[in-house]
Amino acid sequence: MTTLLSEVAIKAALAKGTEGLVVDGLCTGVHTTPVDLQLPVSGVIGVCGPSGAGKSALLSALAGLMPARGSVSWCGQRWQGRRFSLPMHRRSLSLGFQEARLFANLTVAQNLQLAERYCRRPLQEPEREALLDALALKPLLSRPVEQLSGGEAQRVALLRQLLNNAPVQFFDEPLSAVDMPLRIQRIVPALKKFWRDNPALVLWVSHDADELQLLAEHFVHVTEGRVTVAEKPPASLHSENPLSAALSHLTLRVREFLPEHQLLVLDLEGEVLYADRARGRYRAGETVRAMLSAADISLSVGRPSPSSLLNCLPVTLVDSRPLDDGRVRLHLDCDGRKLWAEISKYSYKKLQLKPGQSLFAQFKAGSLQGL
Amino acid sequence: MNLSATDWQALLLTLKLAGVTTLLLALLGIPLSWWLANRRGRLRPLLEVVLSLPLVLPPTVLGFYLLLLLSPNQPLGALWQQLFNRPLVFSFPGLVAASMLYSLPFMVQPLLAAFDQRALPLAQAAAGLGMPPLARLRSVVLPACRSALVVALSMTFAHTLGEFGVVLMIGGAIPGETQVVSVALYQHVENLDYGGAHRLALVLLLLSVLLLLLGRYWGGRLSGVLLPSRKSSVESALEARP
Repeated sequence: MTTLLSEVAIKAALAKGTEGLVVDGLCTGVHTTPVDLQLPVSGVIGVCGPSGAGKSALLSALAGLMPARGSVSWCGQRWQGRRFSLPMHRRSLSLGFQEARLFANLTVAQNLQLAERYCRRPLQEPEREALLDALALKPLLSRPVEQLSGGEAQRVALLRQLLNNAPVQFFDEPLSAVDMPLRIQRIVPALKKFWRDNPALVLWVSHDADELQLLAEHFVHVTEGRVTVAEKPPASLHSENPLSAALSHLTLRVREFLPEHQLLVLDLEGEVLYADRARGRYRAGETVRAMLSAADISLSVGRPSPSSLLNCLPVTLVDSRPLDDGRVRLHLDCDGRKLWAEISKYSYKKLQLKPGQSLFAQFKAGSLQGL
Repeated sequence: MNLSATDWQALLLTLKLAGVTTLLLALLGIPLSWWLANRRGRLRPLLEVVLSLPLVLPPTVLGFYLLLLLSPNQPLGALWQQLFNRPLVFSFPGLVAASMLYSLPFMVQPLLAAFDQRALPLAQAAAGLGMPPLARLRSVVLPACRSALVVALSMTFAHTLGEFGVVLMIGGAIPGETQVVSVALYQHVENLDYGGAHRLALVLLLLSVLLLLLGRYWGGRLSGVLLPSRKSSVESALEARP
């Protein structure tokens, strides 16, 4: 019943054009100025800001766990108002914590089962399978939660909340203990696909720039006691990935998907790019974000002949910086966009590269990450 | 062992008293402790002091006040007299009421500690997944605090077995009604029947050791016993796949 009701409410809100989550003058005692927010019915909102700025407190206050004054409503359902606060379990939200907080003395499967029993919108079996697979949890199902490592426990907690599938989902640094390759290459794409198929308003707290850039469509900044909405993460945010200075972020438009080749054809302002191993099902015309590792780019001075490196972009060398390990990091400009490439000092000398020079950057269809 | 008929009677009565007291205290103590663990106001320290009072109060003091409270001249005792047509003092139900008060801290203290330290964060996580309060207590809090629960139950049982002062004050020594082992033991000593005293003392000693051992064993090791290990739909779905 609750599922139906919340879906009806969401549809009504969409029809009326009203906002999903409306926060009006929320005084938490942690943030110096009252919080005002209007957030959409669905979409991933990255919440960022320095440690101790009150990101977790914001989530707790919105969820009703931490007492606060002011009003909060979701698609017309009043969560909080004057001398009124709906208990957390009756708000159509799920709240994740920085610690995994797995239910003790139970197995991983029993933890998931409990979350499913109180699930808000039931999932299809293949969706559940895909999540289990992406989070690499199948081998751990029968394990007591006391025997999990920190990263494993965090993945179970994330899946537990996803299976619960609430219309509003709050996550507090849910991947901070998960290893980097798994995080960006498997989990983030699976999450994007999941929320595409199961629209929800997601507030995702993270310190990692790569994770936020790939996942989030809008951002909420929490700094010096203020909460503001923005289109971009703050410049101070940096990546937790050791390789990260060497990652380029690209915003692309989907042209089409070629099922026979499992290739996604993308458009970068007129330049055609190909991506394989894309996990999500994308519609033509929609905008997607992807990452490209500097080490995956190879450069040639003249226009290269056709090659198995499917992607080729004309770029201009802006400047270069030698690295400690005998390689050179190049800052390239591609029609106003910043690209990073790394090549050996040997190649750099042999090609006689100079700032201002026109080059072609090539990379494999498999190098576009995060799709 | 060569126990007399009245000794057997006393032993059975003692076990019955401890059993009934433990059961009723569990029904009262679990919700009470959970309610208290969720309290954060100024009232809580005061309530905790009141609840642990029976730990430090001399049993005779407690017994004396209870004797007054439960006597037919007082409202509570009078109500009981009217309802059941017999006095509450010097009866088994009176004994149970007194034992419950006397052993209350032994049920509440271990539970409160475990709820505070272990269960509250988990209950918040459960509420964050939309679980209603009773389901949280049943499916998350109690399984997580299983060992504390076993400790609380066995301590309450063991403590009730050995009570003396309160029982004597409130129940006297009516065989089959209020004469428990500790009182019977005292009467043996009074009558200089040291053999009978030895036998009862040994029985209580063995019972107490056994209970503590059981509490340790069950509370510490046997995880997965109190909860049926039903398979989740995820697990069974995986098994059904080729």
